[in-house]
This record gives sequence, C-alpha cells and structure tokens, in this order.
Amino acid sequence: MVSFRQNLLAELARRRTRNPRYSLRAFARDLGTDHATLSQILRGRRNLSPRLIRQFGRRLQLKPDELVEACEQLNTEAILRLARRSTFRPNSRWIATRTGLRLDAVNCALHRLIHQGRLVMETTVRWTTTPYA
Amino acid sequence: MPNPVVRWQIISAEPDQAAGFYQKLFAWKLSTANALGYRELLSGSDDGIDGGVWPAQPGTPGFVQLHVEVTDLDATLAAATKLGARVLVPKSVLPRPDRGPFRDLSVEEENVTRT
Repeated sequence: MVSFRQNLLAELARRRTRNPRYSLRAFARDLGTDHATLSQILRGRRNLSPRLIRQFGRRLQLKPDELVEACEQLNTEAILRLARRSTFRPNSRWIATRTGLRLDAVNCALHRLIHQGRLVMETTVRWTTTPYA
Repeated sequence: MPNPVVRWQIISAEPDQAAGFYQKLFAWKLSTANALGYRELLSGSDDGIDGGVWPAQPGTPGFVQLHVEVTDLDATLAAATKLGARVLVPKSVLPRPDRGPFRDLSVEEENVTRT
C-alpha cells in the first residue's frame, strides 16, 4: 500500500525527471510549506497530519476521494503503531484517546485494518498486527 | 437449515443520530458498553432480532446490512456468485456483537452484493 509520503516522493521524482534542477525547496514552495518541514516528512522523521495532507493534496490537485483515502491511511497507520506496542489496549475508546481520533474514526480504521488483513482480533483482550501490517 | 437473518446493522455516516433516532422512536435500549463502543440497539423482546449501528467509511453512503447465518459459507458464496453476486469483502473472522463484541471469533462473515 502506497503511503502519502511515498506519493510525495514519487511526485518529487517525476518533477525532477521533467526538470533536473527542480529542488526540494521548490517542491516545498509549490506545496505551500517550508523545505525543512518537507524534508523531515519525506525522510519519515515527521508524521503527516490530516491538515498537511489536505493542504498538499489541494496543491497537487488530488481528487477529494484521494484525500479521504490519504487521511484514512493516516488513521490506520497511527493505530498500527499503537498496536505494535506492548502497552496497547484492545479498546476503541483507549485508542481514540491515545491517537486523538474520534471514536467513529477509530472504528472505521479498525474495520479497514481487519479487512485488509493487517490486524486480527484474536480474543477480547488480544488484537495483533499481522505480517501484512 | 433455514438460513435465518440473525442480525441487522445500519451503516451510517451519522451513527449517533441514527442510533438516537431508533432509540427514541421504538424505545429500544442503546448500549455502547463494549470494547468498540459499538452502538447496540436492543428491543428487549423475545421476538425479532437485535441490531446495531456502525459508522460508514468516510465518503461512502449509508446502508443496511443483514447478517444471514449459513452452514456452509463457501458453498453459499459460490451459489451467490452464480446468481450474479459479487464478493465485496473477503472472508473474514469478525467479532460477534450479537453475543457481545469479541466473545466469539469463530464466525466468518462475507459481504456480497448483486451486480
């Protein structure tokens, strides 16, 4: 599954193919952000937020459903990061508190993760990530 | 086996409003005391079946799901496909909200739709 970050990297590579002098700074300007922030995001040192995804998506002229999909991916990734921790609690309200997501957003993301085979609810107290996560 | 409908579920973009509507209209009990915060709607009657409300995926329309119990899921899917259905969601092991979420994980659910 291609993440929004990977899409940004691919878009930067496309632009550099068209124009070898196209810089990270230029890409950041075109996305409406500063190059330090963009650099951290592209290197995986900084997490994207829904606000940044919407902002970048508009600049990249993504369709509304592509933006929704990107934000949903953000939610599922946040839950998977929690689920990999030993302190993880198999409880939607707990996940909502820890991620800052609304309860319904958590449940939508859980639904997706189960159907993607990335999370398994083995018992009432054990939800585990899979090798596909 | 008669293949009964064992549960219904409303998928709604506004699950709070939907659950509240049916709770008020039919004086059903609304319970969210489970690990998912799942909105269960319980009539309290020995007749009929209970159901619940689940949030719709963003950008998708609401609908009503019927859960039909079958003895042979693979055979039912093959028959449904032959009748023109398309499998939307692969066979999955899901919690059983009708028995309390996650109490029984041995149930396989399949979503199909007519094409």
